[in-house]
Amino acid sequence: MPLETRKSPREWGLATILNEHRHNWRQIYLLAKTELKKTYKGSFLGAGWAVVKPLFTLFIYWFAFEYGIRPGSTVNGYPRFLFMVPAFAAWFFMSDSILLGSQSIRKNKQYVVKMRFPVSNIMSFTLLSRLLVHFILTGVMYGYLLCTGYGFSVYNLQFFLYCPLMFVFFLALSWALAPMAAYSRDFENLIKSIMTGLFWLSGIMYDPYSVSVTWVRHLMRLNPINYFANAYRETFLYHEWFWQDTTGLLIIAVELVAVVLYGSHKYNQLRKTLPDVL
Amino acid sequence: MAQPIIEISHVTKIYTLFKNNKEQFLSIFYRSPKLKKHLALDDVTFSVEKGESVGIIGNNGAGKSTILKTITGVTFPTSGQVEVRGRVAALLELTAGFEPEMTGRENIYLKGYILGLRDEYIHTIEEKVIDFAQLGDYIDQPVRTYSSGMKMRLGFSININTDPEILVVDEALSVGDNAFKKKCKDAIKDLIARGTTVLYVSHNADSVQEVCRRAIYLKKGKLVFDGPVEQALELYRVDNPPKTAKGKKNPTPAERVANARKALAEKDKALIKAAAEKKAAEEELAAAEQAEALALKESDPV
Repeated sequence: MPLETRKSPREWGLATILNEHRHNWRQIYLLAKTELKKTYKGSFLGAGWAVVKPLFTLFIYWFAFEYGIRPGSTVNGYPRFLFMVPAFAAWFFMSDSILLGSQSIRKNKQYVVKMRFPVSNIMSFTLLSRLLVHFILTGVMYGYLLCTGYGFSVYNLQFFLYCPLMFVFFLALSWALAPMAAYSRDFENLIKSIMTGLFWLSGIMYDPYSVSVTWVRHLMRLNPINYFANAYRETFLYHEWFWQDTTGLLIIAVELVAVVLYGSHKYNQLRKTLPDVL
Repeated sequence: MAQPIIEISHVTKIYTLFKNNKEQFLSIFYRSPKLKKHLALDDVTFSVEKGESVGIIGNNGAGKSTILKTITGVTFPTSGQVEVRGRVAALLELTAGFEPEMTGRENIYLKGYILGLRDEYIHTIEEKVIDFAQLGDYIDQPVRTYSSGMKMRLGFSININTDPEILVVDEALSVGDNAFKKKCKDAIKDLIARGTTVLYVSHNADSVQEVCRRAIYLKKGKLVFDGPVEQALELYRVDNPPKTAKGKKNPTPAERVANARKALAEKDKALIKAAAEKKAAEEELAAAEQAEALALKESDPV
């Protein structure tokens, strides 16, 4: 086993996080698998629940739109349910990342207060476990799209660009949210309470870029959830390339840099006193 | 010359005490200078060479746990430098990291991952850990079915068998019955004999002297003494004189005189009472004998 040398220098935020991940990739992967096992252990379906729950949610929405709310309606020329499906696949991961990511440090408190552990790895293995679920859900979604005649296109390869981008974006966001929620239950409750609002304010059920009011339409551009939901639609439905929406690409690039810088700064600022407050 | 395995330089640790949840929430965004603070460690400096066994002694609140937490990496100093050049096994929070729904065997791997160990290495120590923990068939049962003693034994076994370079031991740890306690003590002694650096926290002077040649005495966050264990313990005894059997401190000479006078007065009182009771009993006896004699005289026909 290699000898460890541990110092306590002042470090730039992102450097701290990268150092905490160095040599720990396999450990993060193993803890992500364990996280999934832990969450659903003791139940008959086990990790199957990770997929059953979102599919059941999708079924409810399909039923509501097929038989209840404006049946037969279309959005951008696609049946509404079909329009929603790729965005939902992205949304389930994004909402899990925000909610479970922010709760991850408090939920794994013993790693912070009882032992030496690279705390940023907690957010990494938590989000990685949700990413594993996301792959399965996306696979099921893709199968559904193939059955309805919307699959097998070279544009689908963009999934391997948008998915890692989405993962990195929300991981960086959790670098700020998790320590803040660990510090204050009020902050944690604030995040829980805005999730439903965030769903309806984002373009999962409707096209946010077709809103008639101009200033609202421009504001929708700034919402990263809209970007990724639309990106999944472009990949699996619209069949458009990522460079075709240059404005969106520019906005998400700036937002990504901002989130990475703010997230790593907040993590570095709060990390050292987390064991004292938890 | 080799560098010390542990180097603590001018370490100060200040805890912020929040009055309420609002203060704690606002502190995420802004640290007010008006927040109340507690000084847990005050400019502590010492170093430990490889293979040394150092005792850490002091009263509750002296900063022993805090300094150990900075060495094990759980907490960070507010200022100063902590350098640790080796893998630490802390026999402090033995059950930390256990997942109740997973079996003992699965938890060995989980704990191993958390300690940064690889699958292959954990596999090589797996049987050793299971044998030491003496859990039998329970090793394949979920940890939620274990007693607290069983969890401690498993935690101890995992930590002790990971070939640490530095061992941190809290002597107050209770890990099982006497036989297992002896086994744990022997395992610690074996690690010491093999050259593992040991930090030993204890309130028991005999126990510290048995394990360590050097001791650090902490008092209210300050390092008061760092040197031979006998001198450190002597200083500790002077600051903390032993108490009498009833929990009272040794009385001063004036208090002893007053106590002795009081005891003598109570003895005198008891003697007077006993004399009065004796007199009453003698009078009763005399009256009874007189009544007996009268009764005999009346019954005699002569």
